[in-house]
Amino acid sequence: MENSQIIRIENLVKRFPVGKTKFTAVDGISLSFGKGEFAGLVGPSGSGKTTLLNIIGSLDTPSDGTVSVIDKSVSDLSHRQSALLRNRYIGFIFQTYNLLPVYNVYENVEFALLLQKLSASERKKAVMDALEWVGLTDKLKSKPTMLSGGECQRVAIARSMVKKPLIVLADEPTANLDSKNSHHILQTMKHLNKELNTTFIFATHDEKVMQYLNRIISLEDGRVVKDEAVKNSKN
Amino acid sequence: MLSLKLAFKNLMGAGLRTWLNVLALSFAFVLIIFYNGMIDGWNRQAIRDTKDWETGEGQFWHPEYDRFDPYTIEDSHALLSEEIKLEIGNNNLTPVLIAQATAYPQDRSMGIVLKGIDPEQKILKLPSSSLPDSDGQQYGIIGRGMARSANLKVGDNLLVRWRDKNGTFDACEIQIAKIFKSNVPSAENGQIYVSISSLREMMGLKEEATMLICGDNFEKRDLDGWDYKSNEFLLNDLNKIIESKKFSGAILQGLLLIIALIAIFDTQVLSIFRRQKEIGTYIALGLTRTQVVGIFTVEGGAHSILAVILGSVYGIPLFLWLDKQGINLSYAADMNFDLPMAEYLFPYYSLRLILVTIAIVVISATIVSYLPARKISKMKPTEALKGKLQ
Repeated sequence: MENSQIIRIENLVKRFPVGKTKFTAVDGISLSFGKGEFAGLVGPSGSGKTTLLNIIGSLDTPSDGTVSVIDKSVSDLSHRQSALLRNRYIGFIFQTYNLLPVYNVYENVEFALLLQKLSASERKKAVMDALEWVGLTDKLKSKPTMLSGGECQRVAIARSMVKKPLIVLADEPTANLDSKNSHHILQTMKHLNKELNTTFIFATHDEKVMQYLNRIISLEDGRVVKDEAVKNSKN
Repeated sequence: MLSLKLAFKNLMGAGLRTWLNVLALSFAFVLIIFYNGMIDGWNRQAIRDTKDWETGEGQFWHPEYDRFDPYTIEDSHALLSEEIKLEIGNNNLTPVLIAQATAYPQDRSMGIVLKGIDPEQKILKLPSSSLPDSDGQQYGIIGRGMARSANLKVGDNLLVRWRDKNGTFDACEIQIAKIFKSNVPSAENGQIYVSISSLREMMGLKEEATMLICGDNFEKRDLDGWDYKSNEFLLNDLNKIIESKKFSGAILQGLLLIIALIAIFDTQVLSIFRRQKEIGTYIALGLTRTQVVGIFTVEGGAHSILAVILGSVYGIPLFLWLDKQGINLSYAADMNFDLPMAEYLFPYYSLRLILVTIAIVVISATIVSYLPARKISKMKPTEALKGKLQ
């Protein structure tokens, strides 16, 4: 199961209209990701990292080629089916945390479970477990505005992990954090990757993140220029 | 249920913005109920007073009688049958004899109607028992409207001239025995009530009447030689005035509601532009677009639920207080608008009025919330996550 492919990308092309022309953000990428990978899409801005992540997360659709996530082609999914895919199997972590401002820590994490048919006690246990993983059980009632950037990102990690998804897509998760918080976050994610065998895919150009990855896919102008397994001190 | 929970959470989280909208909508809600309650109260009071003072529970008219044609009055009288006399004796009917006359208050001439009523009658609230037995002096009672227009007070003598059944002019002085206040201008203006026996004597019309007014206990049936006029007919003019008041009231209420709804619409449009990132996050977390549209629609609609609750907080005590105290309209009543108007108006709040108002406020607030929320369904989640205006 460790190396079974849960994401398959074949000849993926994504074009965006820019005025009267079209800009090609992803240009003929073929990749696959196995279960439990801790991989990163690295490259400069505009290299297609976020676009690729969005298509894997079924937030966007390919212009050409196919992307299968857990044996489901994202192009063929209806709005409802892609929402279900995201809700059940995919967690997102964003650079700007994207916490819901009117909810406290507990409610932000619980939100991800509200669409699943769980009892209140099951939800509570899952939320408390997730907050324990990220060390925030003492901030249950705090609103996002009362938290530091590192704490916000830990809440975002807990929210993405609370439903125990197969895949977590993290878009520049450390970009707004200082070095100490970045390492703390990455250690947490690495720990969860090992404990729950969740596939993590990062879009990043942060050297600190790269220290933790066991696979680095370098992108440039929408193409894969290097795809290598790495052995780092942090993993 | 999820949408409702999230919507309320978001509303509470939005703080002052929410409460300002809720306050504006609650004003509209309370004012609509207040205004309608006032109109309904006025209508009910006007109909009740008109029945009590003028129309009773319907009337029988002499076939020739036309209240809008004074020339018919001369021939509009007939003898009362034994059956009618029995009903009068049982206080189920009361006869009224009507005659045209001219009064001369302060050397002016004034066309009036003399109405002969039974001093013993109990069907109308007219203080007919205040008419003393004729002792050679004729007595009359008048309403406040007539007293004002003719500048009369109790004890004054008023010269009145009329034509009897043969067309012969006659005249006498009528002493004002009482001035009553009925709130019904059509029962007061240009009328002097005298004892029916006196008027019969003055007119030479023994045992005759122009109309018969029905009491509560009169068993409705046809009476030979008399045309029945229901209250639907008798109150037709009043009902038309009420309808026109309701129409103009509806325009006012519509404006009030539109102002409050524009505030909600504005907030919703602003929310959707300001909260794009939040919308993107909802979608990333697995909500469908329909669910997100639902959250925003319920959120807007929930303003109306909060407005109903807030409106109830200050509206119920206000309405209860008004129900007890009434609204002082003495200045308007004194201005004699030719409309039945009491000094104190007691609003009437029916359950139907409250439920219909709640439904209108909730449905319209939900509709104006849905319209901008539809835009969410056209949003690209990737752009929404970036918070880019689309």
